[in-house]
Amino acid sequence: MAQMPALLPKEVEIQRLKKIWLIVIAMGSTAASVEVDNFVDGSLHQTSIRDSAFTPAHWWLYSHFVTLPLGWAAAGMYDRKVPILRGPNNSINTGLKMTILGYLATMFTIGVNEMWHFWFVEEIFAVPNHWMFNMGVVVAFMGALAYVVRVYARLVELGAETPGENPYVAEMYKMALEGKLYSRSIP
Amino acid sequence: MTLPKGFGSGGGGGAGSADVEKMIGRRVENMTGMITLSYIAAWLATFGGTAAGYFFYPWAYPTPSGHYAFIVLTLVEAIGYLFCVKVMQEGTQKNSNGIIAVTLAGTAIGTVAIVMFVGH
Repeated sequence: MAQMPALLPKEVEIQRLKKIWLIVIAMGSTAASVEVDNFVDGSLHQTSIRDSAFTPAHWWLYSHFVTLPLGWAAAGMYDRKVPILRGPNNSINTGLKMTILGYLATMFTIGVNEMWHFWFVEEIFAVPNHWMFNMGVVVAFMGALAYVVRVYARLVELGAETPGENPYVAEMYKMALEGKLYSRSIP
Repeated sequence: MTLPKGFGSGGGGGAGSADVEKMIGRRVENMTGMITLSYIAAWLATFGGTAAGYFFYPWAYPTPSGHYAFIVLTLVEAIGYLFCVKVMQEGTQKNSNGIIAVTLAGTAIGTVAIVMFVGH
């Protein structure tokens, strides 16, 4: 993607990108909290196997899998105010799209998982209904990384952030600005 | 530059500083109060969540386990809070280090007090 002409004053764009940054930090903290609960929930399942869906570890885990897609969707709604972050054909940014879809998958997996455990009252880590949680999170993380790098690269371009000193990292930001980080055609 | 309806002088011109201010709304460097309140709310909710574990499911969540989760999550939230305020104020004249210090010290003392006196 070639450099786009400025569509809004620089100061306005920096403020909007930083508001996106606030949502990203909140979502990152939430994702870190899920990682803590992975251990809490795994610990409980080693002790009690599965007595009920309504355990504190599940309230904790499942509430995040509703919060994360909704929070990233809020980022997606606000993201429309920054034209340079738009995806192909003026759609939602590709990284953001992947993040929302990934976490939506985990949200629907809550239902799939409970249906599975209605019949199979075990907690074997490797059962297929659990794969969907992990695959959704991996897709979401990949998308979030692409989006965060894009936002950061734009802040660097606007002079609001300092570019990375490591030449390899600096090269990555340069490629992101040119739209070549993970595709030549998808911004 | 094409501006949205209601902005600019209505022909030629471009964005004046009043237009820019109107497009920005509340500046991120002035959001410290909201960010601080959100952090405290998140910290209290974390206490409520872990307390629900050791008060209602003591057979599954021993109190020290709940307190451990509470400490780890307080650290995660504190780092997020610090990032939020510092990143929003970088490159400006605003400085809320005092508020950050008081808030982080308050939640640190609160965390230690909760771990020492609640749930035993």
